[in-house]
Amino acid sequence: MQLTSAIRVTAPPAVGRLDDRRQRDLRLDFFRGAALFCIFIDHIPGNLLTWATLHNIAFCDAAEVFIFISGFAAAMVYGRALTQRGVLFATAQIYRRVWQLYVAHVFIFVVFIAEVSYTVSAVNNPIYNDELRVGDFLEQPHIAILQALLLRFQPNFLNILPLYIVLLGIFPAILIGLRRHRRLVLAASLLLYGVSVGRGWTVPGYPDGETWFFNPLAWQLLFVIGALCGHSAAEGRPLLPQTPWLPRLATTVVLVAALISLSWGLHEAYEPIPALLLKSLWRFTIDKSNLAPLRLVNFLALAIAVIRVVPRHARFLRWRLVYPVILCGQHSLHVFCLSILLSVTGHFILGEFWPGLAGQLLVNLSGVALMIATAAVLGWYKNATASTRFIDPAPAPSGDP
Amino acid sequence: MSAAPRCGGLLLLALTLALPLLKAAAQPQAPSAACAAPADLLQSETTLPGLAPILAGHGSLTVVAIGGASTLGAAAGDPDRAFPHRLQEILRRRFPTLSVTVLNKAIPHQSAEEMVARFATDVLPFQPDLVLWETGTTDAVRGVDLDTFAMTLQDGVDQLRRRHVAVLLIDLQYARVTESVIEFEPYLDALHQFADANDVALFRRFEIMQLWSENGAFDLHDVPKAARAAQAAQLYGCLAERLADVIVGASR
Repeated sequence: MQLTSAIRVTAPPAVGRLDDRRQRDLRLDFFRGAALFCIFIDHIPGNLLTWATLHNIAFCDAAEVFIFISGFAAAMVYGRALTQRGVLFATAQIYRRVWQLYVAHVFIFVVFIAEVSYTVSAVNNPIYNDELRVGDFLEQPHIAILQALLLRFQPNFLNILPLYIVLLGIFPAILIGLRRHRRLVLAASLLLYGVSVGRGWTVPGYPDGETWFFNPLAWQLLFVIGALCGHSAAEGRPLLPQTPWLPRLATTVVLVAALISLSWGLHEAYEPIPALLLKSLWRFTIDKSNLAPLRLVNFLALAIAVIRVVPRHARFLRWRLVYPVILCGQHSLHVFCLSILLSVTGHFILGEFWPGLAGQLLVNLSGVALMIATAAVLGWYKNATASTRFIDPAPAPSGDP
Repeated sequence: MSAAPRCGGLLLLALTLALPLLKAAAQPQAPSAACAAPADLLQSETTLPGLAPILAGHGSLTVVAIGGASTLGAAAGDPDRAFPHRLQEILRRRFPTLSVTVLNKAIPHQSAEEMVARFATDVLPFQPDLVLWETGTTDAVRGVDLDTFAMTLQDGVDQLRRRHVAVLLIDLQYARVTESVIEFEPYLDALHQFADANDVALFRRFEIMQLWSENGAFDLHDVPKAARAAQAAQLYGCLAERLADVIVGASR
């Protein structure tokens, strides 16, 4: 997948209809790449650039974009595997990916341990020690590590990959369901979301009494919706009625949400600016853990509006300046893991060495540059290996679903 | 991370034992201009209307501070150096005709939910005029569900308001290095949005401490061991000064 797409990015697109469906939709790569940049930027506390991320002009943020696109891409890639080579093969492929994600999670955990060990000794100040207990799990490393391997212990930054792992883990069932009866899958997913949120169902974490920050019982809905869209796109069966009012409604929702959300951010920074409708809406936006309803509505409206505003072969997707973003989106797992490490390191640099604007500029720019450079190397390597084994039209699937 | 009051206890014990030493080193200093904060961090549209007549009168003012480790103030080595007690001193100085009592009802490592559960025993029986509720840190450390956190704030504030008790929320401590290990921002945002949406007075401790950290008023990281308790005492004194500003400002 990746292999073919990487070549096609440089080659002009074929326009044939069938080919159109088989070809990777660059919009997916672009928006996933943009989401990765947002995640990197949002994860550095106090970063001024967060004013420029989605979070600031919508109730939802890059996490929704990432999960939705992951569902979409997974349905395209593994859906094709299912059609061409059967259930068993597709399942094996999905689980290969789950394993990769798991290894990545464990790797980031190890880096996190290093960071915490350092922090505990650096911040040996009783003002914080007694309050934060950052060192707690270092007192019981045998249990903490075991709990991390079981995905129950999810310190900061380590909460989105476990969600993704669980969602992909159940993906074979979703995929088979989508082929049989796509509306039924959506109904079941909606029901699970409704009941979990209504009843307060959560997934237990570690230490006891804690829960997963991203509740998979709620977030599965967005992944399933993404998969449903990806499946429909692959099959060429449009999901939504082709009416002109729907994109219009969606665009209105997006603009209104942007205005409200921006006013909240500005109000927080400067009180005389009124926070529009904060009193009535905040309850429906605050709950990121359970994919709060307004976050979901805002994201779906955004998706519909973007599909309308940005056509599949939009010109800007071929711009040189945009290519690095697409590249990052095509290597999302690697770039995502790297971005987490970069956020942690960047924050550390800001705190210890260069606080202030110059430091922020340096951290943001070098972080983004490193993400792009990594994606470029990965892309180059894929191309290089592709040209050495020239005839292999049934490629090892991966890409970045 | 919740299951370690044991260590808090040990720390407290160690500090108590070291107290005579610390006392010599840690005379609470008069707050300097260094711990000033700009007016926009201290002013708010939200008011504490019930307090105005009390502050203007000659009666008594009872304040209960409920919170966690930073309210308890063990880091300063002496409960008298924690911010609630310092606040009591400051308010008594500013309102000499008023009989001011600030009670410290802090227990470290409690989530907002656990604090609300204590309202009935630790807060309401004292019939306070004002409750200072310092919360959010443990919820962030434990990664408590944001919705649970927000709804708990609502529940707690509603309980106090039903009994006509004024309430002022105190947000999280700023910690430069631990920020990268613990995700504070969602909880800070939730707390601020909740306060905004419900017209609850708020003490912006996080931003104020961040300001002090950035302008060099307090270097909270590279502190020699012997100076730490003194510094904590100074920090709590400064926070109490600004907190008094906010309370008095909001009562007008």
